[in-house]
Amino acid sequence: MSLLPGLTDSNQATDLFVDANEVHKLVLKEETEWKVEIPSSSKLTITIRSGIAEIFGTELANDVEYTFSNWKISLSAVENVILEWKCPDIPNKDLMIEPNTTSKYVYNLHFGLEKMRNSSFNGPRILVVGNANSGKTTLCRTLCSYAIKFKSYQPLFINLNPHEGIFSPPGCLTATPISDILDVQSQTWGQSMTSGATELHSKQPIVKNFGLENISENRSLYWDNMNQLSNAVNERLQNDVIVQRSGCILNTPSLSDLDEEFNELVTIIDRFKVNIVVVLAEQDEFTLFEKVKETLRPYIGDFLIRLPKLSGRFEADDAYKRSLQRTAIKEYFYGTPKTILSPYASGADFEEITVWKPINMVEAQGTTSTSNPLQLLPVTVDASTLQHALVAISYADRKSSSSEVQKASILGFGLITEVNEKKRKIRILLPVPGRLPNKAMILTSYRYLE
Amino acid sequence: MDKETEIIVKDFTSVLDELTFNSRPIITTLTKIAEENISCAQYFVDALESRIEKCMPSQKLYAFYALDSICKNAGSPYTIYFSRNLFSLYRKTYLLVDNVTRTKLINMFKTWMTPNETTGGSLPLFERGALERIEQFLIKASALHQKNFQSMLPTPTVPLLLREIDKLAGLTNERLRDQPNDQKLQTKLMVLSQLKQELQRGKLSLDALKQVQLQLTEVFAQDQQVLQERVRYQQFQQEQQLKQRERSTTTSSLEPTETPMPLGTNNSPSPLFNGSVSSLFGNVSRIVTPEDFAEMEKASKLTSIQTLFHSLNGAGLIFTPPKESIVTLFDKIDSTNKLNSKKAKNNNLPSISFLQDVVSNCKAYFATANVNILNTPTLQLSQQNIVNDNPVVTKSLIHLLYRNKPNKCSTCGKRFGNSIEERKLQTAHLDWHFRINKRIKGSSTTNAQTNAMTSQKNIQSRNWYLHDSQWVKFNDDEIVSTQNTFNENPKQTIADVDQQKYASGSNGSSTATNIQMSNFEDMLSLNKNDANNSTSETADLSKKYVIVPESTEDMTFQCPVCKDSVTSVYDEELGEWIWKNTVIINGKKFHSTCYYETIKNNSSL
Ligand SMILES: [Zn+2]
Ligand SMILES: [Zn+2]
Repeated sequence: MSLLPGLTDSNQATDLFVDANEVHKLVLKEETEWKVEIPSSSKLTITIRSGIAEIFGTELANDVEYTFSNWKISLSAVENVILEWKCPDIPNKDLMIEPNTTSKYVYNLHFGLEKMRNSSFNGPRILVVGNANSGKTTLCRTLCSYAIKFKSYQPLFINLNPHEGIFSPPGCLTATPISDILDVQSQTWGQSMTSGATELHSKQPIVKNFGLENISENRSLYWDNMNQLSNAVNERLQNDVIVQRSGCILNTPSLSDLDEEFNELVTIIDRFKVNIVVVLAEQDEFTLFEKVKETLRPYIGDFLIRLPKLSGRFEADDAYKRSLQRTAIKEYFYGTPKTILSPYASGADFEEITVWKPINMVEAQGTTSTSNPLQLLPVTVDASTLQHALVAISYADRKSSSSEVQKASILGFGLITEVNEKKRKIRILLPVPGRLPNKAMILTSYRYLE
Repeated sequence: MDKETEIIVKDFTSVLDELTFNSRPIITTLTKIAEENISCAQYFVDALESRIEKCMPSQKLYAFYALDSICKNAGSPYTIYFSRNLFSLYRKTYLLVDNVTRTKLINMFKTWMTPNETTGGSLPLFERGALERIEQFLIKASALHQKNFQSMLPTPTVPLLLREIDKLAGLTNERLRDQPNDQKLQTKLMVLSQLKQELQRGKLSLDALKQVQLQLTEVFAQDQQVLQERVRYQQFQQEQQLKQRERSTTTSSLEPTETPMPLGTNNSPSPLFNGSVSSLFGNVSRIVTPEDFAEMEKASKLTSIQTLFHSLNGAGLIFTPPKESIVTLFDKIDSTNKLNSKKAKNNNLPSISFLQDVVSNCKAYFATANVNILNTPTLQLSQQNIVNDNPVVTKSLIHLLYRNKPNKCSTCGKRFGNSIEERKLQTAHLDWHFRINKRIKGSSTTNAQTNAMTSQKNIQSRNWYLHDSQWVKFNDDEIVSTQNTFNENPKQTIADVDQQKYASGSNGSSTATNIQMSNFEDMLSLNKNDANNSTSETADLSKKYVIVPESTEDMTFQCPVCKDSVTSVYDEELGEWIWKNTVIINGKKFHSTCYYETIKNNSSL
């Protein structure tokens, strides 16, 4: 007794029963949204008990426990919602619950697009542009989710922003038909195809590897990737009636990453036959909007719409973006808690691998004669360059030339976990079991330390 | 602190900061640094203590693990330094973390109490005083927990207890009906009736009543468990029957007598489990509900019933019999009957949220009945139309995304409409979920004789992306078709890595792709022969080993698939040198997991 004087006093006693696993009940009014930033390495579980709630356009099932981690989400109440949530690291006070001020615009936009899908075999192709943190990805995700809800459309989502890994690791340009419901718990929107059973239907993306972090590091390479992607997309659309009718939804890099004249936007519009542009910009960014409008008017006429930045968006700092990128890499190899994947650690001798890398124009400034910016440079295999590196594995044979490799399709990604210079061996994590394919690899700027 | 120490301590803290998850490598690194730099011990201790104090509750356990590892490996002086604040750190942490972590903390504490090698094998890890205080604290904490639980039970009164005894007797009788020969149950019934008599005499003190109450709670919990197990078993039986029936419909020519009959009289779940449990003996959360809270809930339910009634009425969905109708007359005449029937009706009323759903679905149906997207000019895309409020969208079209399809999948939230076609889609969708879930959980088959379960887990990996030329021809219907699941359909498009010859660098060290299916079957039969407790396929694979032949000179070999070298280890139990996770196929040694994966992969290509 005497050892524990503090224990019997009432404050202490109640402390004991502040249960970290406590389930909190929350009522959200219609047209409000709950914005949650889940602390890193914590997890939030949400169960909708009644009403209709959605996250970035994807409706949650009722009485099903959803788990979220390493993410910032906006849970939007379409009707009055009663839910239960649990997260030991989020205090149950001052929750960020705000009116959803922009959902009405998104609905208007969606039904406008729906009308176009109803009236033509050639669906709308909509380009979403805006500055960083304006809610571009959120808008794209919501439009994709809505598009598949009433009829079984399969809109093609095209991600031209290499900072974000959607159905792929970061550093890629991708196109993915959204043929079924997205995984509401996943930052990467869901799984690309796996070899086994997944809770939801997986998606089949086409992936172009840009591999550098910023477009400015090699603009020519970025635009070449985009060209390759648009060729494949246009051919797919010709072959695939449903996707063609459903149309395309394109996500773009932040406007600040593009050229100041917006000529690059014109190129995208041209390559992907875009017919609607949505600019996410506030009233005070009016000059920006006007400038975009003037530049694009000759190409798309009046189909240029300005929406305010979405209320469900988050300010994403660099650290947060990096953590999303890490998650995307991790999920590519290991899946999610609900879809656990078994990647495969394989070994290879130095002599058995060929690694290329793109020219980084920013680093190379003045040092190399940059005659052909698309040219790939051979990489000497050593620990300092390859340890923990994410490498793209191309379809091109190992002995192929630089330009063949640069044009080749992408088979997937590997993660070099160990470079043993003494034994002249590497260990590489592969998504698919088996030996390292005898293919040329391309070094990316992304590193991942398990 | 001199320069060198400063660097080492900085190093230590920066590694420590990485300890945001349970990472063995990080903890090992920390332990190593601590072992190698005993001179900095005090600084390390300070750093670790402040980490435990300041980091997020969810991460405190890992810091404790680091402390534990350092003390167990490096021993003194760490054990001495940490003993000083150990109790207060431990106590603070314990109070802040969730129950799962508390259990882990307690388990860790238990290991401290056993004599430890670093302390010479005769003393506990830390100073006795510190450990004793923690022990006292833990005893109190759990006692307090117990007390808290007791205080949440309602004050026992004789009538309350009598009622609960009746319920318990009812339960026991029910079990007795199934197992009429069970002596224990009969004894229990007797004890219960004696207890009842004792209570009715009314001579028991409040304390004694409390004792009775606690005991009853315990007995009830046990009974509940037994019954739950039985229900689970019945469900399992029913599932099996269902499966058999499925099979019998496909094979069609089964005699009707072979169709298994439902088990026993207790086919429908006992009333105990449909939620209307007694106030005292329900699950714990029911017990703790304070009465005023129950009142509040009742009140809020009442208001929502009222609003619900009004909206139902407003939607013209409620039939009110006119004054002169037979219904009203009958009700007036037979007032007692009315009372009873009202009660019965109340019991069968569906939940409020269900009824609310019905109302909203009806509204959505009417709201979208007459809209036509094509004939709505305000949907024409333009700046004006998008930013202006559009009542057609907010009042009616919006329902097309939600309640116009009123049937929401309870697994994924996908919506389905009421048309025959939509109903068919929904059935196919639900079947698909069912099949997928079965595969995710691992197909389990039951051997009737041994009742042993064998299961195969859903082990999977990411696919390669398709080649551009494959992707442009791909059609997603192949994925979203609910007719088949992946792997059930052999025609599934997967990456054609065609030129993938696995050309091995040199002199045929790789035979991986030459291995034929027949070998695979060989291996599986081998697997059956030597593994007598086959539970999981892959677990078995990695458990396979090969005893190093005495004639072998080289104790290591290179796995032809992953190129790893495999070194033999001495197995104490066997008394032999073995290669773990190894199989010999056609005289060649492989990692058995590598071999299996390659085979599986090749056969699916
Ligand atoms: Zn579903
Ligand atoms: Zn191997």
